[in-house]
Amino acid sequence: MPVALTLSVSFWSDQFVNGLTTGSLYALIALGYTMVYGVLKMINFAHGEVFMLGSFAGYGALVAMGGNDLSGPAVALAILGAIIVAMSASVSASVVIERLAYRPLRGAPRLAPLISAIGVSIFLQYLVLEQTSARAKFYPDIFPRGALGAGPFEITYIQLFLIASSVAMMALLYAIIQRTRLGRAIRAVAENPTNASLMGVDVNRTIVFVFILGAAMAGVAGVLYGLFFQTIRGSMGFIPGIKAFTAAVLGGIGSIPGAMAGGYVLGLAETVGRELLNELPGVNLGNQWRDVIAFTLLVTILIFRPTGIFAQRSTTRA
Amino acid sequence: MPDRSAPPPPWTRTLARFRWPLFVAFTCLLPFLLTDVWVQMLVFVALFIVLGLGLNVVVGFAGLLDLGYVAFFAAGAYTMGLLTSPGSPIDAGLDFWLILPIGILIASIVGLLLGLPVLPLRGDYLAIVTLGFGEIIRLFLINRDDLTRGSQGLSAIPRPDLFGYRIDSFTEWFYFVVAAAVVVGFCTSRLRDSRIGRAWEAIREDEDVAAAMGVNTTKYKLLAFASGAAIGGLGGVIYAAFIGFISPAAFSLQVSIDVLAIVIIGGMGSTPGVILGSLILIGVPRILQFRETSDFLANLGWLRDALNGLISALDAATPGSLGRLPPAETWGAQLADDTRFIIFGALLVIIMVVRPSGLWPSSRRRLEFAHDDTPPPAPVTAP
Repeated sequence: MPVALTLSVSFWSDQFVNGLTTGSLYALIALGYTMVYGVLKMINFAHGEVFMLGSFAGYGALVAMGGNDLSGPAVALAILGAIIVAMSASVSASVVIERLAYRPLRGAPRLAPLISAIGVSIFLQYLVLEQTSARAKFYPDIFPRGALGAGPFEITYIQLFLIASSVAMMALLYAIIQRTRLGRAIRAVAENPTNASLMGVDVNRTIVFVFILGAAMAGVAGVLYGLFFQTIRGSMGFIPGIKAFTAAVLGGIGSIPGAMAGGYVLGLAETVGRELLNELPGVNLGNQWRDVIAFTLLVTILIFRPTGIFAQRSTTRA
Repeated sequence: MPDRSAPPPPWTRTLARFRWPLFVAFTCLLPFLLTDVWVQMLVFVALFIVLGLGLNVVVGFAGLLDLGYVAFFAAGAYTMGLLTSPGSPIDAGLDFWLILPIGILIASIVGLLLGLPVLPLRGDYLAIVTLGFGEIIRLFLINRDDLTRGSQGLSAIPRPDLFGYRIDSFTEWFYFVVAAAVVVGFCTSRLRDSRIGRAWEAIREDEDVAAAMGVNTTKYKLLAFASGAAIGGLGGVIYAAFIGFISPAAFSLQVSIDVLAIVIIGGMGSTPGVILGSLILIGVPRILQFRETSDFLANLGWLRDALNGLISALDAATPGSLGRLPPAETWGAQLADDTRFIIFGALLVIIMVVRPSGLWPSSRRRLEFAHDDTPPPAPVTAP
């Protein structure tokens, strides 16, 4: 049966750009999950909350620098400042979490660190909810409006900025992992911690760096999320966290390029994919079904390709 | 270590043998000693003991981390709701006692359907898939409003009759739910001590070794999953009949995490642990909201004044200013509301770090976590 798309070209190109935008956020967050899983074989359940803390820190920084009164070139500086503040907040939170909640449990039964991570996640989420009286905060609306493009193909400045800076951050991370001494240590620990320590790698230090790198990416994602969606709240970390984990699994958990690709696949699947399903006769899935699509995708991938859609090298069977 | 070779005095042995009948007998006296709000609180505690015992089979016995236990609870509750609520499109007006087995069956089928594809996977993946599944069920209940009436929920679910007598008051419900908990507790402890229980234990300790010893790991994991789901379904049917109204909001991730925390904080695999965990996590937050508690806390006005005095002194000494403490009689409610989850999260971390085996670990677990140099006696795991 030939499927004739009923909606216009500009609708689909918009959906595609939206998919890339959310996909960028998922990819940035997914990197933290995949790297921690790579070295510790543990799901860092609190990573979504690290992202949330970054977003709030960035909000605080933007408001402190003038909030809605910012204009002209000051906006660029303020956003850069907010990103740096958010990264530092996420990184410090993550280092503290690793030290207090995860490190004492290394070598404990498999479930213990996971439960501990769930505890951290609940703690941080409700701490922020209580501090904000469970109300949402609104990022200053300072990003220049307008769009680039011609005819039906358009991309707003904020989307372009979001996608470009995510790609830049991921390129930077990839260079660190592939080119530096630290990156080599991380890859060695991921391969085999005992052997790495025999070769003179300080495993504890390397693990801390893994948390730092992942949290830095989550902090950037927090500010980008705030600038794009504007509304942030204490419970905002949960769904993106789960989605990002899904993205990491999609790309083959432990694999860094896989997490990036998985983020984009998931972002596109839940925007473009949902609209494509709506093209089928008798199907009308509202916006809420996005989450169902993401979870269904996760379950399907785990069943049929547990090593991820881009299975690489000898990843151990899930 | 205490000297285990000396025989304990005979009366302690008698006490140990009859500890469960004695405990149940004591429990049955409670409604005579307490007011209605307390008994209502205890109904919830008993209901969560049922759920905790069910999840204990999955997490404690077989070592499978299930973060979507609410899905089975919801399956049971919605079976009851859909088949009896006048608002449901498929209201059949069936009797509670007929729905009870149907609800248990449906919940275990849901468990099997979910478990079949994901159980061959590693533990952490199982955690995420079950978590996602719990959310899918909730979203499904909200969005398929033609069937479930969405977030409006199903109301006027009838209460059960027992031999022509309607179970109505909190005291009657208390006895009913406690009876359910006793039956479930008896079944799970028999399961634990059976060949099946030993297979679960072997899988929990080391799946590869268990498989090498001839344990069909997938089959036994599936069995654990289905048993846990069946008990969750039982809890759901009882819950729907007790509350009389169900809506998707009652089946959030929080329920899964509450039940999991009951199992973990109490001590994985331990029945007294589940009871203790449920009293702490379900009972205490409710007690904090009672009028008795605020009446009692009202006596602490002097403490509030003293602490506020300290805070004002601090304010005077440093730049910036802190808020003052609210009136003492509201402390309980405040603690129960916002701060509950903050404490709860911190408690999970602290218990994992300090007492990874839980507050009241099962005897086997206590051996495993014992910090002495002599290796624990090798458990007999092969069935």
